[in-house]
Amino acid sequence: MSWTDWIVLALTLTLIIAYGLYKGRASKDLDGYFLSNRTVPWYMVLLGVMGTQASAVTFLSAPGQGYTDGMRFVQYYFGLPLAMVVLCISFVPVFHRLKVYTAYEYLEQRFDLKTRTLTSFLFLLQRGLSTGISISAPSIILSSLLGWDLLWTTIIMGGLVIVYTVTGGSKAVAYTQQLQMIIIFAGMTIAGYIVIHRLPRGVGWSEILHSGGKAGKLNIITTGFKKGRFDWNDRYNLLSGIIGGFFLQLSYFGADQSQVGRYLTARSVSESRLGLLLNGLVKVPMQFLILLLGVMVFVFYGFNREPLFFNQSQLKLLEHSKYKDSLSTLTERYDAVEAQRLVAIRSPDSAGWPYAIVDPTLIESRVAAIAHEKAGYKATVKRWLDDKAVGGDSNDTNYIFLRFVTDHLPVGLVGLLIAVIFLAAWGSIAATLNSLASCTIVDFHKRFSSAPLDERREYRLSQLYTLFWGIFCIAGAQLAYRLGNSLIEAVNVLGSLFYGVILGVFLVAFYRRRVGGSAVFISALITQTGIIVLNVLNKKGIVSLSFLWFNLVGAVGVVVLSELLQPLMRPQKQ
Amino acid sequence: MDQPEEDNERVPLFGKWSYWYALVIGFLVFCIAVFYFLTKHFS
Repeated sequence: MSWTDWIVLALTLTLIIAYGLYKGRASKDLDGYFLSNRTVPWYMVLLGVMGTQASAVTFLSAPGQGYTDGMRFVQYYFGLPLAMVVLCISFVPVFHRLKVYTAYEYLEQRFDLKTRTLTSFLFLLQRGLSTGISISAPSIILSSLLGWDLLWTTIIMGGLVIVYTVTGGSKAVAYTQQLQMIIIFAGMTIAGYIVIHRLPRGVGWSEILHSGGKAGKLNIITTGFKKGRFDWNDRYNLLSGIIGGFFLQLSYFGADQSQVGRYLTARSVSESRLGLLLNGLVKVPMQFLILLLGVMVFVFYGFNREPLFFNQSQLKLLEHSKYKDSLSTLTERYDAVEAQRLVAIRSPDSAGWPYAIVDPTLIESRVAAIAHEKAGYKATVKRWLDDKAVGGDSNDTNYIFLRFVTDHLPVGLVGLLIAVIFLAAWGSIAATLNSLASCTIVDFHKRFSSAPLDERREYRLSQLYTLFWGIFCIAGAQLAYRLGNSLIEAVNVLGSLFYGVILGVFLVAFYRRRVGGSAVFISALITQTGIIVLNVLNKKGIVSLSFLWFNLVGAVGVVVLSELLQPLMRPQKQ
Repeated sequence: MDQPEEDNERVPLFGKWSYWYALVIGFLVFCIAVFYFLTKHFS
């Protein structure tokens, strides 16, 4: 990175921290620290829920996903608008009317203390662990691509955010998320513009869509049916996106305090609803555009030299392994075929237009053999990295976009795009730390401590708990490095293990009025155990079910089981 | 889907929340239809 990039990066990050400290300085009580005194307008709710959901991995992984697997990942978000509607009808008015600090407080009023404590504990367990992974994933990517020290990258990724989150609480979180999202959108828009700007003459939107479509990248809608049968292990298709995605998003936005804490800060039910419904309107198109950026980068590398492997640190790993000599030969061959391909693709006709545009069928026949040979070399590198003796990471998806940024964006913009990665991580981590602290103090400390707390002590304790969770998550990130390749997948799977059950408890609370606390508590414990067993069976290959369906199984399991158990319980006290 | 307006505040733009819900669901259906067209047209 050039000095200009370093300056842009440092200035952007300093601006966010200073803005967070400035905006959060007035929060001196529990209501201010966790709920911004319930004064936040709808557009900040919108940017807050978007900023909390969109982590650094979203902006690193999604374009890479578009590049490698195509755009079908967008279906993962189809359940979100439906979840927003259900939230606005059932969850939001109840949470606002009861003036709760955490979603789990409501469960004590509806059921009993043990149900509240169980769900809050499941949230702390799941969120505490997954936030460590959320810090480590982008840190690994940045450190391996830019050669930064991993420990320092982790400390900056997870540590600086603690400064304004501890000091300013939810107000600092809300205001910084607003600024962060503006910078993120600006950065991604500029990156998209530059991809198009760098394409050869005559290659525009139509060519991008046609080339992407021919390469199978515009597989936006897929049914999930293979040979007439529905594939339950297929992650992204219309059905799993709408049904599985609906339950996942409803759990996430309705029962995860990191999101509930965002819309509880709104100044009224209307402002909460408006922010959430607008999120339902913009989320799917936004994900579509991020994935399309990946397809644009794919077309860009059709006309420019594509690296043998985007993650350079893995090639360096091979250079120090038994494959050293083979890699050298393979790299020479790869460079030769890539040079041949570029000559074929870029050769202009008499008018100066690349052949690829003038006659795609001609060019296809000329490069088909080369492309096949090239794919073979890439597969060989992956096979070597998967060798246990090497212990490498053959998953290159998360490195594609950032490698494009560092190799092809002008000086200054590289710094801005790397700042975007940090800001995306901070927006998500800050909201999570705030929610972990609010649950710890409201659902555990205040609920179980016999000693009365005055306003000042509550505020100080809230800061201490935020600091504790910040340190816990950074320590968790250090442990998460041991997970290696499965890092990002682990975040998604971990969420799906617990979300369904927590959602099931809330669904019973809202829609099954005759079911009491004991029935739902026992159902939650049984279903949670069942989900963990199901995950083990899934890993062993005994059952085949994509993790997205765990949310549905968990939620339905709690609802059905509690209905069956209720007649066996003592009647509820009125 | 009509809900009592708990906070007695005006519903922005449409006057009723149910219209907002219909807009969100309708827009999702529209997006899926456009995506389906793009998938079919460019594959």
